[in-house]
Amino acid sequence: MSAPTKHPSEDLILDYARGALELGRGLVLRAHLDVCPECRASLRLAEAVGGALVADLEPAELGPDALAKALARLDLPPPPPAPAGPRPDNWIRVPPDVLLAAERHKRWAAPGVWVAPVTRDRKTGARSYLLGIGPGIAVPLHTHKGTELVCVLKGAYKDRGRVYYPGDFAENDEEVEHQPRVTRDGECVCLIAADHDLVPRNLVARVMQPFVRI
Amino acid sequence: MNAIAIDYGEYQRGGWASRPAASVNGAASAPGQGFADMIGAIAAHADRAAFAALFGHFAPRVKSYMLRLGAEPSLAEELAQETLLAVWRKAASFDPSKAAASTWIFTIARNLRIDAARRDRRSADPVDDVSDAPDPEPTPDAILAASQSEARIRTALLALPPEQAEVVRLSFFSDKPHSEIAEELKLPLGTVKSRLRLAMGRLRDLLGDLA
Repeated sequence: MSAPTKHPSEDLILDYARGALELGRGLVLRAHLDVCPECRASLRLAEAVGGALVADLEPAELGPDALAKALARLDLPPPPPAPAGPRPDNWIRVPPDVLLAAERHKRWAAPGVWVAPVTRDRKTGARSYLLGIGPGIAVPLHTHKGTELVCVLKGAYKDRGRVYYPGDFAENDEEVEHQPRVTRDGECVCLIAADHDLVPRNLVARVMQPFVRI
Repeated sequence: MNAIAIDYGEYQRGGWASRPAASVNGAASAPGQGFADMIGAIAAHADRAAFAALFGHFAPRVKSYMLRLGAEPSLAEELAQETLLAVWRKAASFDPSKAAASTWIFTIARNLRIDAARRDRRSADPVDDVSDAPDPEPTPDAILAASQSEARIRTALLALPPEQAEVVRLSFFSDKPHSEIAEELKLPLGTVKSRLRLAMGRLRDLLGDLA
């Protein structure tokens, strides 16, 4: 696979580096970072800044037996690795929890369209989910409340004149009203994070929304 | 702090206790290299003396970082412990050609804090890291460059205009969105964002071969 050509903003990468990105948005960004050496270099720079800042902090006082406690914990068995589902054919690499969601929570939402919820923030309602769409199918016209982050895991879709391939990243805000269409070559799977539900812009979308629930 | 110094004593025979100081001062030719070597010693032969030395240096700073992010002192201490334990367990995955020890430890601490925040809200997925993702061409000088990066970044941070350095610092010691940071500083969001962008762009220019 060639390197992706559509990238997240520097702001998002910085938010990820400083640990301020909402969980689901972080997952979408990581999927892109994993296949994008260019954005990983930006991330590494931001993380190096974080490392240097922390290294320069005034040390806090630890409990009197802190080191002894740590030494005593060295030989405890490590926590078990995160459970993961199998990686489906032709997907770019994604974190284990995404694979798990794909395996456990996949449901058909409409003919040729499946959804698998991945994360949901109880406090804000922000969520992330996998969306699989069959060849040639278009998502009904809609816009967004807040912003939506998308990373293509498999296949390709066309949106407003551009084609998004595996690893490509899109950031769609309230200004964007669109009707992305999957190319005819095969199924397209995306990992998506959204602050809010979609805002349907036509009847088909409005009728579909209760079923798709995205 | 005294207690740590005493605990340290028994590990001094390992030879590490005298070494971190040289790199902390940033005076050595490859500052930070000492810490990277210690992580290497943990990976190679579960070197407890190296661990104790790393703990003595980093645990108090990680705790300080957690406190700044608003963690209760007991949680901050526990996260500092967990961070250094993760250093012990993951030592073999540390790649000194990709990151300075301080950078690597920062990412571990950051991820553990995100995990802790999530446990708090009773949602369940662990945060992994992208830093083990394969990179195409590691350059021969990469290890030296990465180990020097911390000192170079410090120098570069000092060279930033104060108002840019301030927003960089505030954004790393807060997990708030930039809009809230802007409110605290009584500045328009656009100003905060543009200062950050300028600062990161400058750091990138100064540290070109790091990225």
